[in-house]
Amino acid sequence: MKEVILDCMGEACPVPLIKCQNKIAELEIGDVMIVQIDHSCAMKNVPEWANKEGYNCELEEVDDGEWEVIIEKSR
Amino acid sequence: MAREKAVEHYDVVIIGAGPAGLTAAIYAGRARLNTLLIEKSLVGGLATYTNEIENYPGFPDKPKGEEITNLMKKQAQNLGVKFKGVLVQSVDLEGEEKVVETFRNKFIAKSVIISTGGRPRTTGGRDEEKYLYDKGISFCATCDAAANENKHVVVIGSGDAAIEEGMFLTKFARKVTVSVMHDKGIMDCNEIAKEAALKNPKMDFVWNSVVEGFEGEDHLERVVLKNVKTNELIPVECDNCFEFIGYIPNTEIFKGQINLTPRGYIPTNEMMETNIEGVFACGDVRDKWLRQVATSVGDGAVAAVAAEKYIAESETFENYIMQKEKPSLIYVYNAVDQESRALLPVVERVEQELGGAIQLVKVDCYKSQGIAKRLGIETFPSVVCTQDGKIASVLNENLNYDAIRALY
Repeated sequence: MKEVILDCMGEACPVPLIKCQNKIAELEIGDVMIVQIDHSCAMKNVPEWANKEGYNCELEEVDDGEWEVIIEKSR
Repeated sequence: MAREKAVEHYDVVIIGAGPAGLTAAIYAGRARLNTLLIEKSLVGGLATYTNEIENYPGFPDKPKGEEITNLMKKQAQNLGVKFKGVLVQSVDLEGEEKVVETFRNKFIAKSVIISTGGRPRTTGGRDEEKYLYDKGISFCATCDAAANENKHVVVIGSGDAAIEEGMFLTKFARKVTVSVMHDKGIMDCNEIAKEAALKNPKMDFVWNSVVEGFEGEDHLERVVLKNVKTNELIPVECDNCFEFIGYIPNTEIFKGQINLTPRGYIPTNEMMETNIEGVFACGDVRDKWLRQVATSVGDGAVAAVAAEKYIAESETFENYIMQKEKPSLIYVYNAVDQESRALLPVVERVEQELGGAIQLVKVDCYKSQGIAKRLGIETFPSVVCTQDGKIASVLNENLNYDAIRALY
């Protein structure tokens, strides 16, 4: 079980979401991906996508206007 | 193999960040309680699905629901409340330590406030999800009726909510078409509403119908109904659609622990207390009459103040009342009761005579019976005598100097 960081700072939608979809395909079940974003649209659509896919997901506001989306490839 | 969950301790964990949960967080934060607010999707709850909120006092310019709840969030953050955007997987609410688990954490709290709200039941019709909320399908006439001046709206359902809200809509809309799944003249609502609805010239009924699907470019333009007997499709051109086919409270994870009504809502008393001590419920998830931002805010304030009181009482109880250093004489009384007051000098005399060998605690139950409940006392006045932090004896009848003195 590894943990990877996906830096999407400064990137606007839909780039973060596409990066997430590509990255998660490389991961194995049980791995965790931490997505760093500063675009409020990605703060909505990344967790939405993760929930829809059935992955465990947590959104954390690490600073004003900066978030980390922690996604566990749970299935 | 699952990862080890990180354990964090809080005074209060609030589940659900709609207006009720956010208000509870503001009050808890301001009471200097170490507070965590957990939300599975967007902060703001159902209020964020509304484009205009015209009836929340203090906001005359019809803000978006999100604008109001974002301000609430900021206010809670300013007061030191921590936020987590994650789904709660399970809870264990019995006992003094309440446990709330997410996929990464195990939160241990002295008190839990449930403000998980609910969601409207939907028809499951084709492409319904494309038009939900601000795209044409609404669930609240009180919220959205005024935006339908001179328009044609479709109402789904024939229960009390459907017909009463449908009638309310006729004050604004040009025409209200109601889809009813029953035979002509049969509705699920009360007779008075039914008579009035049938006489209303702006109301039109499509009997024996259910929703087949929703159509439109960006916004809803057409509801396609289906006759349940003939399977005939009936397209109805409209501006908006209101679905009133029920509301589902988000209480699945509390089943078996918290008492629920047959419909799944949480019954509480006026202090928002549930059947479990230290667990409170507020907002739409509660069994109540009117579900609005304004009523949720009131509920949230009450729940947080009640939680604060509960925590303070727990601490007083453990650290002071049930102290282990010396025996206690606990006098549980009601200050408005004459007999209770008459005994006050008597217990004070016993304390003086024993000169520091015992600790006298006077518990007035007039405002809150929390401590009496913890002591298992139901009649007032009563005297409880403790030894080594445990109850040694209880006196609740024939209280007088001799009887109390004889305990020591």
